[in-house]
Amino acid sequence: MTPQSLLQLTSQKCTTGCPILDRLLNGGIPCNSITEIVAESGSGKTQICLQLSLHAQLPVSHGGLAASSLYLHTEFPFPFRRLHQLCLSFRSSNAHHFPVNDNPCDRIFVQSVHTADHLLEIMSKTDPFIENSKNQVPVRLIVIDSIAALFRSDFDNTPVELKRRSSLFFKISSKLKALAKRFNLAVLVTNQVVDLVGPNEGINGLRIGNLVCLHTSGRRVCPALGLAWANCVNSRLFLSRNEEVIREENEKSNGQSCDFVKKKMRKLYVVFAPHLPESSCEFEITREGLFGVER
Amino acid sequence: MEIWRLPISASQRGKLISAGYTSLSSLSSISSSDLARELKVSESEAMNILKVASHSRGSETSNASCSIVEGAQSAWDMLHDEESLMHITTSSADLDNILGGGIHCKEVTEIGWSSLSLIVNSVLKYKLTTAFGSESIIFMLIGGVPGIGKTQLGIQVAVNVQIPNDFGGLGGKAIYIACIEDMSEYNRFLRKDFQECKIKMLPQDILENIFYFRICSYTEQIALINYLDKFLSEHKDVKVIVVDSVTFHFRQDFDDMALRTRVLSGMALKLMNLAKRFSLAVVLLNQVTTKHTEASFQLALALASAAYSVTARGIRNSSSSCKRIKMM
Repeated sequence: MTPQSLLQLTSQKCTTGCPILDRLLNGGIPCNSITEIVAESGSGKTQICLQLSLHAQLPVSHGGLAASSLYLHTEFPFPFRRLHQLCLSFRSSNAHHFPVNDNPCDRIFVQSVHTADHLLEIMSKTDPFIENSKNQVPVRLIVIDSIAALFRSDFDNTPVELKRRSSLFFKISSKLKALAKRFNLAVLVTNQVVDLVGPNEGINGLRIGNLVCLHTSGRRVCPALGLAWANCVNSRLFLSRNEEVIREENEKSNGQSCDFVKKKMRKLYVVFAPHLPESSCEFEITREGLFGVER
Repeated sequence: MEIWRLPISASQRGKLISAGYTSLSSLSSISSSDLARELKVSESEAMNILKVASHSRGSETSNASCSIVEGAQSAWDMLHDEESLMHITTSSADLDNILGGGIHCKEVTEIGWSSLSLIVNSVLKYKLTTAFGSESIIFMLIGGVPGIGKTQLGIQVAVNVQIPNDFGGLGGKAIYIACIEDMSEYNRFLRKDFQECKIKMLPQDILENIFYFRICSYTEQIALINYLDKFLSEHKDVKVIVVDSVTFHFRQDFDDMALRTRVLSGMALKLMNLAKRFSLAVVLLNQVTTKHTEASFQLALALASAAYSVTARGIRNSSSSCKRIKMM
């Protein structure tokens, strides 16, 4: 065994497609590590995943990985139509990188996953799959959307089952990390949230990462799957959404009047990451995808 | 061992004491030309003094080991040893205070780690009092929730151990064993740390002095610990081993719990042996888990009840807006 030289370790990043988000993430989603996105439903997790699978195909000079991606989805149905929509706008804005008849969707491999054991099976088959893909466009991004769905229904709330669940977490995450290291992949995992009920003490008040507590839609939440899974991921990002009432001044012929308009405020927070400071940024979801907003 | 006991001339003794050298340890890390300059004597005289000093140091230790049982130490010697510990600073004055001066060798310490915000990159607090030139070794086990800064502390230690002797450091190299993540992003931090301390070391040198191993399974982990024996005998200047998440690979499906306990204790023992033989500090970073005891859930260090003979433990509690450290 020989020690690796630290000077030679470099980390590649996969761009998210938006310069503001990239700036927040210091380049994008890093390779050779597991990044987790935590949010309640409807916050934009799948949007980010789809966007990343498309932008991973960009050449390295433009922040991508020049690679295809493997998308493992657990919640049905897979949003094919949205992917197609994003694909069209991706193609039109990046036409010079791809030949005319090319379809970026061809380079996203989709696989549905039903249970945690099924996921483990798939992990063992992924090795030769990625190995083979090196001949054409290599796979450099694995997305699991979402990991929480696999675990939240299958396990009872007894210590034995919980222990089995935790050991599955560690197995899956160590397989993912081994894959990430071997093929220098970026791994993106999405997770759901659970509501925190009760006083803010003891285990309930446990703070993981930068934020004291996570708020979305006016509720206090915490990421699902608990402390064991939190130990398995390398970085965690949190998407929140809130309805805000904003005063909008409208100029009308008879003077100014104000309308109160409800706007959705979406924010992306860095909960913890080894290479990022505590930061957040606002974003919005449009037809073309997910983009940061500079205010 | 005091200077007045050295077999040197009275004038030389007087010069030594007036220059501030009152114990043998202060002579241990000085070169003969510096000593000659300080005492205003010739270089050959200074070299003589140093030779005599090291000789008496050597004979002192041999006297100490002439005890009833081979390898036994008298309680007095042990007290001396404990008082004369070399410390590795954590770059945080408050944390150093909790640890009694810094990370020192010869114990298994488990720390619950708190205030990242306290890391002050200015003053290096160092206690450099070694009698007999012996260094003590310490074993430290640090546990905490994810995202609180355990790896940051590990890196800080790996960098701080390289502080040269002139600035009160150990001037040694570090072994960093990474089990959960790559250190690629940390290169930036490594470079930043030292610049602020105004020490004349190039960032490349700092990175070169850290031997970095990345392991992906528990078999690799055990194999590496076994290999470290040979590695350390080739690289004698390694002063600290940092293992990032020592229990990560053991939390997977280990069907046989007894086997896991045996393997873990074996590993801990090997590390302790390495620490004692090569006089180095060992810092283990651990994770926390929830302990289910009688319908209540508490935070506990992962796999902490198994194996380790830990002399100091700590649980990390991060509630509200501050992170706290607790020594247990």
